[in-house]
Amino acid sequence: MDFDYLSKITFFIMKGTGVTLQIYVVTLVFSIPLGIICAIGKISRFKALRAVIWAYTWLFRGTPLLLQLVFFYYGLTAMTGGYIQLKPLSAAFMAFSINYGAYFTEIFRSGIQSVSKGQYEAAKALGMSPWQTMRRVVLPQAVKVVLPPMGNEAITLIKDTALCSVITVTEILRNSQVTVARDARVDSFLVAAAIYLCLTFAIMQVFRVLEKRFAYYKS
Amino acid sequence: MEEIIRVENLHKRFGKLNVLKGIDLTVSRGEIVSVIGPSGSGKSTLLRCLNHLEAADRGSISFEGEFIAQADKNGNAVYKKSKEVLAVCSRLGMVFQNFNLFPHKTALENLMEAPLTVKKADKAETERKAMELLAKVGLTDKKDSYPGQLSGGQQQRVAIARALAMEPEIMLFDEPTSALDPELIGEVLEVIKQLAAESMTMVIVTHEMGFAREISDRVIFMDDGRIVAEGAPDDIFVNPEHPRVKAFLGKVISRG
Repeated sequence: MDFDYLSKITFFIMKGTGVTLQIYVVTLVFSIPLGIICAIGKISRFKALRAVIWAYTWLFRGTPLLLQLVFFYYGLTAMTGGYIQLKPLSAAFMAFSINYGAYFTEIFRSGIQSVSKGQYEAAKALGMSPWQTMRRVVLPQAVKVVLPPMGNEAITLIKDTALCSVITVTEILRNSQVTVARDARVDSFLVAAAIYLCLTFAIMQVFRVLEKRFAYYKS
Repeated sequence: MEEIIRVENLHKRFGKLNVLKGIDLTVSRGEIVSVIGPSGSGKSTLLRCLNHLEAADRGSISFEGEFIAQADKNGNAVYKKSKEVLAVCSRLGMVFQNFNLFPHKTALENLMEAPLTVKKADKAETERKAMELLAKVGLTDKKDSYPGQLSGGQQQRVAIARALAMEPEIMLFDEPTSALDPELIGEVLEVIKQLAAESMTMVIVTHEMGFAREISDRVIFMDDGRIVAEGAPDDIFVNPEHPRVKAFLGKVISRG
């Protein structure tokens, strides 16, 4: 083993890890609130709103994330005649936030709908407004239900960030590809794999703790 | 006696099913009214219309002289703004067949939730009152338990205390013991009897005939969406005149 070489490429790929985590955090920060809002909209009584949200989830869950990413980076520029020209990282933030927002919409919708009608009735009988009911009664219970599917998405998101290498974002995979091409050695792919494994393992642990924390009551 | 609830010509249908076919009912302060009758007779629906868990189609409902829903010239029920309806309905306490406690909150938190969020009451004062109510239903030691850790009877007692925490002027009970194991029914009925002794106004939909007879000032017998008979407990249970009441009681008593 060539430790000198390994440490050199690891250092370089680790710089990509920072970018990967940046995409990860930004995506979650935007897509989770987006998902909650759209989920509430999707079960609201406003038909037009429901239709718009349905179209949104259909479009973004029904086409490849890679295609969406390429669209936000190249497509948007071409379609607007160069008027909108996103930086690679901005295009990644947009595509990922909107794409994951669509998945979270469905996850939160099912979580909200898993709360029984009796809970709404009890809250209403106590004089709680629909908004108070949502915030104090329904959402806290929905969180417990959505944790396992959220954990899945959170792990998938780590791996999906690798798609950004296609639009020249210098994340983990991009940096290892550059190294492979330059040195004609595949070691850096193994390093990349190891880093992804560490990251997904950490996320798994986070969700294990979260699920344990929400196990304090039975639904 | 002062009238708390007045219902006139109340109609309710679910799709093609006509559940309430013109109900007239008044409840006075301090009065205990039991509603009995066969399954599907509309008892629960009537109760749920009183605090707007179901919206009536026709007729009027008023609470302390104030209309929640008023019949227009065609007889259709026109409700006030939902905020105003909600404000009135928070003065009616409701106890459900399936308790409907908030599973993510402890017994104490269940009691404190509505006073804190709806009335914006002081926290320390709300907790003090909530502890008094838990003591009243005999569950002081369960204050930190979650509903899932309690028996059905205990859950229903917490649910009664939760409704009382809003200091309602009237309590509505929708078959409060129907989901309970037989040995747990007594403890819940005891709590309701205690409320009766404090002259709480109550409307109770129940299948517990002995209990209804013992506790009620007035018993209402419903069948097929109508009030068929109404009177003092002895008039209904001892000397029922109406043949359908007779038939119903005959079945219930021979069974039980």
